[in-house]
Amino acid sequence: MAMRQTPLTCSGHTRPVVDLAFSGITPFGYFLISACKDGKPMLRQGDTGDWIGTFLGHKGAVWGATLNMDATKAATAAADFTAKVWDSVSGDEVLSLAHKHIVKSVNFTQDSNHLLTAGNDKLLRIFDLSNTDAAPQEIAGHGAAIKKALWCNDDKQILSAADDKTIRLWDRTSMEEVKTLTFNTSVSSMEYMADGEILVITYGKTIAFYNALSLELIKTAEAPAPINSASLHPEKDFFVAGGEDFKLYKFDYGTQEELESYKGHFGPVHCVRFSPDGELYASGSEDGTLRLWQTAVGKTYGLWKCVLPEDLGADTSEQMYGSTPEIKA
Amino acid sequence: MATPVPVLRLPKGPDPNSRGFDPNSPRYIALCRTTVATTEAAGGDEEELQQEQHARSVLRERFLRCLLAMNNKKVRFNMHENVTVEATFGSSDIDVLNFQVSDLHTPIGVQKEALIRSQDVISFTFDA
Repeated sequence: MAMRQTPLTCSGHTRPVVDLAFSGITPFGYFLISACKDGKPMLRQGDTGDWIGTFLGHKGAVWGATLNMDATKAATAAADFTAKVWDSVSGDEVLSLAHKHIVKSVNFTQDSNHLLTAGNDKLLRIFDLSNTDAAPQEIAGHGAAIKKALWCNDDKQILSAADDKTIRLWDRTSMEEVKTLTFNTSVSSMEYMADGEILVITYGKTIAFYNALSLELIKTAEAPAPINSASLHPEKDFFVAGGEDFKLYKFDYGTQEELESYKGHFGPVHCVRFSPDGELYASGSEDGTLRLWQTAVGKTYGLWKCVLPEDLGADTSEQMYGSTPEIKA
Repeated sequence: MATPVPVLRLPKGPDPNSRGFDPNSPRYIALCRTTVATTEAAGGDEEELQQEQHARSVLRERFLRCLLAMNNKKVRFNMHENVTVEATFGSSDIDVLNFQVSDLHTPIGVQKEALIRSQDVISFTFDA
């Protein structure tokens, strides 16, 4: 019996959701942080979407947000020219790092001891979180605002994507540029997968996969509409993408064929990410909501409950909602 | 016709009255280093626990009475970056995130009404 995808809508933000990130799997499950133009990033339980808390302190739109692997720390990048580090258990602001312009991207090293920031001042900065009085190391080179900067290759290298239509690979020790990829158009998003060293890049209607160490192209796929963000499943069998036509697309990684498309958002999709266990993916949109989507539609997981044919019509003690929650904007 | 996947409930939304991070959640209790651990964690006996709880409530009551006593008094705040400002204390918000003050004397003038972020404050004094 075919089942139709029921996305779970997480409301709470009042402006577009521009970035989201999952933590690793912790003894308390995994977590999701969302960056929003309303300046109030939120932490949610990753498998249910339940709100846990809101990080209060930024005075401008939050453009980037990330969690460290064990979800004990969060970092956010905002239009108030600061990047902030938070204790994501208590919600308290731990550190505020001043910048000279809008900060767009933040990323922790695997040991959570260093924070990489990047933004409209075209510089990459590395902050030592155990020595906050020291000035950050700065790497210059990009000719325009940097959209995203990520640690890669076991934190030995850095990947950065900027509005100068390039993606650059830098060596952390020498602080020098190792390789550059140039495109005809601005890259809309970049995701790095450590397992397999794969880089997922989106530009125009294209989703491209590169080897993160050599920056060699592995394969590309085309979507029916301009794509803002894409994410590869941890087992590398699927990838999902979302963009300007408000839909989420699911592709087969092996054949690059479009498998399914899902409607649900009321605005362009800005970011999409798979959960660390690959069971669901989350999307953030201009409509101010996050939606959680099942990878295997119909499977019992989180708040989704598989109903076997024998159960239909039987008296169930739990409350079951059969209709899609499209009323919630 | 495909039936939609049933869900148990919708994701819980934000609480309009607080910023969240429930201190009673298992994760908070297990991980929060800033809270003073109770002897319960070390398997203390009933009496010790009761004494500790009594001490906690006395301290909390003192703090709240202090806030009440400060209302409409002249208070001096010692803040980061060697900043010292004087103002007339109003009140604190429920999470003690902000202090509402009036007539805040700053190097650039007197602010009639202001909110001081409590995380910026190191200490404050007043004459009872």
